[in-house]
Formats: sequence, structure tokens, C-alpha cells
Amino acid sequence: MSKRKMLAAEEDLANRVAKLAEKRGLTIYQTVNDMLEQALRAEEQGLTLKEAVDRGDRMDRARDMGLTFTVEHLYYQVVESAFSKDKQRLKDLWRDMGFWYGKYFLGKGNEPFKTLSDALTFLTLGSQFHVDQGKNSQLVISCINEKYTKGYTEVFAVFIEAAFKVLGYKTVENETDRGIIQIKLEKE
Amino acid sequence: MTRKQPEDTKLLVLPGDLVDQLKDISSRKGLSLSSYAIDTFEEAIRADSMSTDLRNTVDAYHIREVHRDAGGMVIPRSILSQLMRCTEDSGERFKDLWGETGRWYGQYLKRRLSGSDLLAFLRSDLPVSWNLDECEIVNGGEVKVRFVRFDMSEEFTDLLLIYLKELMGSLGYVEVERDSVRGMATVKYLKLGNSHS
Repeated sequence: MSKRKMLAAEEDLANRVAKLAEKRGLTIYQTVNDMLEQALRAEEQGLTLKEAVDRGDRMDRARDMGLTFTVEHLYYQVVESAFSKDKQRLKDLWRDMGFWYGKYFLGKGNEPFKTLSDALTFLTLGSQFHVDQGKNSQLVISCINEKYTKGYTEVFAVFIEAAFKVLGYKTVENETDRGIIQIKLEKE
Repeated sequence: MTRKQPEDTKLLVLPGDLVDQLKDISSRKGLSLSSYAIDTFEEAIRADSMSTDLRNTVDAYHIREVHRDAGGMVIPRSILSQLMRCTEDSGERFKDLWGETGRWYGQYLKRRLSGSDLLAFLRSDLPVSWNLDECEIVNGGEVKVRFVRFDMSEEFTDLLLIYLKELMGSLGYVEVERDSVRGMATVKYLKLGNSHS
């Protein structure tokens, strides 16, 4: 036996649901049904809809930043292969890319530092990544990921330095070892 | 479907077949069914303001979770093709690597998404994981996969085809026809057991 239930919603919210239904060419009932089904699907995956929407927004921002997905295993292998062939060429490539992204974030909005830090957060998903305020207005950037190869660690550190250089930071200390990056920067 | 109520409220009908499940979930969260439903509508409206909908949002989350668990990562979009140019003489090694990765991913999907429509998942997954501009998977006896990526080199197209061949092989399909040029391919597969010997 169907147990339909009536829900009293604020008029404004109900109207917005009705507007969404109209936009999609569905009835209000179909629209409400679909929304609640998606809530259940999200719960089955162990998250709330709010989290799903927030994360979707983050991924949209990542795409807007010119980032994309790849297979981690392949990526490290390709980087390592290129690195073993021509270390300097690869470092130049990453330096150019860091410089390009630094310029991109500098021109994109009012908060280039924050936007760059956000982009680095995406690029280091799965790693322990931090940007901390050190002594004397220094910035301390650290990134730890046991999967990073030696070559990838080196070129990624070059990328970070180049991007921050565009924002006016120079490197005062760089301690990089396989899987571990620690860079201290200060304002030029 | 809506009836005007006093005090600026309207009545919305909640689907009967979902009410019990929704009641369970909302009570676990310490919310009334009404509060839970209203939160859901608000998130749907927020998703719409971001030019998407809840179905796509939940699908995208699912794909990201599968990727993350399979070892996916985020990179600058242009870098892979530039890297490939730095490793031009590694062709054979990369073919093996891409094949092995496709085979592994197919096995992983079979286990991770056991019981799900894997081709439907791949239809959403491939455009994201390979940054494709177009991707179509049609299952009508034989499976047709068509993809387009405008900036993809010939070498990278070949690698992706090898990856797909092995991935589909893991899912029990054998490649029977291929038509490819730089950045674009249409491949047909038959389910093993249905293939012509």
C-alpha cells in the first residue's frame, strides 16, 4: 500500500521546486521523486547531498583551473621515463608550466595566492600538502606522498617554486627527497 | 500537485515508496522527514544554480570515488601530451604499460562495481578519466565505443586504444573492428562467447 505523505514547504521553496520541474519538463511529483532518490543514492555512498554538491563545485573549479584527471600509476611512469632521459628538459618543462600557472592565477582574480594554493591542493590530492606561515613572514610549503617517484618529486618542486615566484616569492630553502618536498619561500 | 496553504506554505507530495527509507535515514540523522526533504530540495536548487543536477552530481561523485580508489589523480591538462613528446622512443614500453593499466582497471571495476552496469559506468567515466571531448558507448548485441579528443596525438590515440582493448578484455569483450585516426576512434567489441570463431 502506497504511503504518500504530504509535506508543507515554505511557499518560496515550493515555487522554486515547481520552477525546476517546469525547466526540466517534468511534473513536480516526478521532480521531488528524483531529488529524493538522489539523496538516497548519496546516502548509499556514505555522504550527504550537501557534500556531493560541495565536491562537485570543487571539481568544477579544478576544471576551470585547467586541471584534469589521469591514472596516477601511468603518470608517474611517464614522468620518470622522461626524467631519466633528460632531467634538465623535464625541469624546464615544469618550470615553464609553473610559471604559466602562476601568471594565470595572477591574472584571474583578486586572490592569486589563495587560488594557487587551492590549485595545489587539487594537484596533491592523496598527499599531505600544507602551506604554512613560517618565521619572518616566510611561507613553508610541504608535500609528502610515498608514491611520488624521485623524478616526479623533483619536477613538482620546480613547478611549485616557479608558480610562487610569479606571485613574488623567492625560494630560500628547498629540501626535496623522494616523496617529500619542503620549500621555504619569502616575499621578494 | 501543490495546494495553497495558509501562512505562506504549500503542500508537496512525497513519493510513498521512498517514505520508509527516507524516514529511516532522517531519524538516524536526528531530523524530521520534512527537514530532510527540505534540505534535499535546497541542495537540488543549489546544484541547479551550478548548472547541474543532483543525478549528475551523485554520478560524478561516484566516478571520482572509483577513480580515487583506483589511483586516479589530478594533473594540469596539457602535461601528458608534452610528456609524451619527451619520451618518444618509449613507445613499446608505454604500450605494455597502458595495456597492463587497462587490464587492471577492468578487473578492478568488475570487483568494485559488481552487479552494476559497467558499460554505463564507462560511458560516464571515460570522458573524465581521459579528458575526452566526446564519448559514446552503444550496447546493441555488439558494443560500439566511439571517442573524440581534439588535441590527442596519434601516439596517445593508439595508447588509449590499447588501454580500451585490455580493459574491455577484462570485462569479457573482444575487439572485432577498429577505425581510428588521430584523436578519434570507433571500436566494436563482442562479448566473449558470442564472438565468431
